[in-house]
Amino acid sequence: MKSTGFILSALTLVVLAIYLFVNAPPALSENAVEAGATIPIEMVLETVAAENDIVRALYTGEIVSKGPAVELHFDEHWRDAAVQAGPLPALFLREAARSLHNSEVPLGLFLGSDFPISAANRFQGAQAEAFERIRRTQKPEFFYAAETGQYTAMFPDVASVAGCVTCHNEHAESPKVDWQLDDIMGATTWMYGKAAVSQQEYLRIISAVRQGFRDAYTAYLEEAATFEAPPEIGERWPAEGFFLPSADVFMTEFARRASAHTVDRLIAGVDAPEAVIVADAE
Amino acid sequence: MTRNRSPGPVPRRRLYAVAALAPVLALGILLLPGRERLRAAGPANTGHAELACAQCHTPADGTVRQQVQANVRQLVGLRESGADFLHKPVGNADCVACHRNEDDRHPVYRFNEPRFQEAREAIAPQYCVSCHVEHSGKRVTAEPTLCVSCHADMEIREDPIEPTHAQLALLEEWASCLGCHDFHGNHVRTTPVSFDRVLSLIEVRSYLDGGPPIYGRELRYPARTERAKP
Repeated sequence: MKSTGFILSALTLVVLAIYLFVNAPPALSENAVEAGATIPIEMVLETVAAENDIVRALYTGEIVSKGPAVELHFDEHWRDAAVQAGPLPALFLREAARSLHNSEVPLGLFLGSDFPISAANRFQGAQAEAFERIRRTQKPEFFYAAETGQYTAMFPDVASVAGCVTCHNEHAESPKVDWQLDDIMGATTWMYGKAAVSQQEYLRIISAVRQGFRDAYTAYLEEAATFEAPPEIGERWPAEGFFLPSADVFMTEFARRASAHTVDRLIAGVDAPEAVIVADAE
Repeated sequence: MTRNRSPGPVPRRRLYAVAALAPVLALGILLLPGRERLRAAGPANTGHAELACAQCHTPADGTVRQQVQANVRQLVGLRESGADFLHKPVGNADCVACHRNEDDRHPVYRFNEPRFQEAREAIAPQYCVSCHVEHSGKRVTAEPTLCVSCHADMEIREDPIEPTHAQLALLEEWASCLGCHDFHGNHVRTTPVSFDRVLSLIEVRSYLDGGPPIYGRELRYPARTERAKP
């Protein structure tokens, strides 16, 4: 009787071991570090921040600044049905951030300041300290947010056109009303969960960011199409009259301004030194 | 000669068999198609009663055998990470697959920013389920005072209400916020500036608990009835 029990137990163990350890089905892939992940995330975030600067300059300079002369208006409540307006530059960025959040690429993008119009956007803690250094040095800041496991970069957000200054100075809720051109008005914060990425992932990130810009601009076009008197959407820009460039035209102009710089940075990434894990330095 | 057999105690083996069979039968009934709700952790939240479980509980990658293997291998140190078993964990993306609010006043992803560290520690606003615990039979499970986590130092220069927002904060009237403000801003309405129109805490609590709408019935971005395809 005892030997029968032993045999049965042994058989059960053997069957269990085969079920558990013999790779009849292929093993599930692990969330391991992607092969060839040698490009430091700082380099990646600098690239996307540069792209963001270019798209914002394009949107602010060619759409928001030129729009009012042809009765195209921009408002913080642009999505309200009663408001016939487009998104202000900060809200354009927020649209892009939302698109990024909905994408497969886990890249975070935020805009804040030490004097934000909405108090909820005021920097605190590590971000406030980093922003103080940005004000002093006018250079980006990189740090690892251990609590969230995010490699974080903050880039100065400069008042590049008069519209930024006048809008913030005249806004009823603005806590600072003496902004001047070229002031650092805030910072964009970018976050990613890896210290280094592969070339492939680098490209995926850039692609997602550009899709975010396209989505943000498309959201404006969709809103503009609902205006009582909608502008003509096509090849022309507000500088030429009551027109808005289509998303393709807008993105083509963006690519014309941004791509050479981005390609240079991609090539530089090939020769990038092994990524330094910022977390280790913290 | 016949012998009368008295109905003695039920043989122990038969008792064991019944005891073993009962849970198997019960499990079998629970696993029958159409019985999914019986297996749920609790009643569906407001608006979710008609949803199929699979709308939120999506299948995990691989076969059950692969999943078991991966987890056992991790257990004995042959693999770094385990694998989801049967279903993937339900997260923000599952909620947003139906509740996509393009103009959300408080989108969860914004709370991942470093400056919200204290709020994350207090109420974990970066997760939908922190306020909307599913299978609770309610609409919102968070306390209506949660605004204090981010808006404690509120300053509004041209405040349209009296007492002002700053005064309300000073009085710690945090339960009053939702009396005027629709947290996600998904209802077509104007935020009241007169206290005559403020909703009472009873009305707010009733709404959070799954009661009738208090911010109007017209939604800016109605929820989908089936999750969006990725």
